Amino acid sequence: MTNQVLDAKGLNCPLPILKAKKALKDVPVGGTLEVFATDPGSVADFEAFCRATGNELVESTQDKDVYRYLIKRLN
Amino acid sequence: MGELAATTIVGIGGFTIGLVFGAVAQRTNFCTMGGLSDLVLMGDGRRLRAWVLATAVAIIGTHALHFSGAIDVNKAIYLSTNLGWLGAIIGGAMFGFGMTLTGGCGSKTLVRLGAGNLKSLIVVLVLGSVAYMTLRGLFALVRVQLESATNIDLKTHGLRNQNIGEMAATVIGLPAGAARAAAAVAVAAAFLIFCFKDAAFRRSPANIAAGLVIGLTVIAGWVLTGIIAADEFNPVPLASVTFVAPVGESLQYLMTFTGATVNFGIATVGGVIVGSFVMAVATGTFQIESFADRSDLVRHLGGGALMGAGGVMALGCTIGQGVTGMSTLSLGSVIAWLSILGGGYFGMKYLEEGSLGGAIRAVFARG
Repeated sequence: MTNQVLDAKGLNCPLPILKAKKALKDVPVGGTLEVFATDPGSVADFEAFCRATGNELVESTQDKDVYRYLIKRLN
Repeated sequence: MGELAATTIVGIGGFTIGLVFGAVAQRTNFCTMGGLSDLVLMGDGRRLRAWVLATAVAIIGTHALHFSGAIDVNKAIYLSTNLGWLGAIIGGAMFGFGMTLTGGCGSKTLVRLGAGNLKSLIVVLVLGSVAYMTLRGLFALVRVQLESATNIDLKTHGLRNQNIGEMAATVIGLPAGAARAAAAVAVAAAFLIFCFKDAAFRRSPANIAAGLVIGLTVIAGWVLTGIIAADEFNPVPLASVTFVAPVGESLQYLMTFTGATVNFGIATVGGVIVGSFVMAVATGTFQIESFADRSDLVRHLGGGALMGAGGVMALGCTIGQGVTGMSTLSLGSVIAWLSILGGGYFGMKYLEEGSLGGAIRAVFARG
């Protein structure tokens, strides 16, 4: 079950990460945040973000031009 | 070599250097602003280290070329005896703040454009026009006033250039050449240690490759303009990779093509866009992108204008001053580089807090 959804479509680095960081604060530990983005650079950005912040990137998928990330808050 | 030959060599060579820069930056996600935002937003210093590695490589190569006598790097604008310290501070801060608004510096904007981002096309048009206005147009009036009021003529202080090693040596009375070499070794070593003491960076071949190749493009620029295209009857200005004034010159070049001559900067700008395009198509990441909403457009217009004006005032961008200028160890480049970092940090806080007041509070709250 997704706790929060963030639409970052059309935004470029660093805004999707910045908004995800903010949105994640409202997600309970163990809960998930679903992010939609269109910046191709966001794939590497969200991998790095989850690794650096100690959260889990549960899913990273692409549907045509839209990238979808499912992040689980671990701390 | 004839008159035509030197220009042609600079054009083809500059385009090739740009091609490599664009392809590698596209493939490795090299981004100076991204490096700063990775560090500030998530504590990941790998991309920032790719930038620092590029600078270290460029410092080593530039000084090797200089001390071997292959080029006289004192002829580069960065080392002139005219020290524009205030322009470096104000312009650098403007550039740093602007690049966070557009989500990337001048070179990243060109790389994004090549990969199909049409927001970047707007940024290129604004950045280039404002850069040219600051270089030769309406804003140049203000810039020239500022420079003539505050620039310091180092010749009157007995200095031959603004290399930090030579300046320090003159002040404390040491041999200039030895001090210059020592400064280069010390700064390059410090930068390399900063990069490779980090285990995450050591495990990141893409970032290491990006740093090495971007640094090498700067060295290649000196070799091209200082050695290969050197022609005593038709001197080519000694230059290397930079992405503010050349974007303005590129727009002017396209508009006045029949009466214009290509230079190194213009050729590299074209090369970066094409290199990124080819890499984006080859890796399946080419994608037409447009503005998300009104505030997205406003941010990109503002950021492009700040980068255009600031980049000309500071004599360069995160690459032009941050790598090429820094490779000469010029005092002005060090000032500009630190100001860009400061402006970028403030810009990141501005995006985070949503207002200038909030950004100021956030900066001071952290001490």
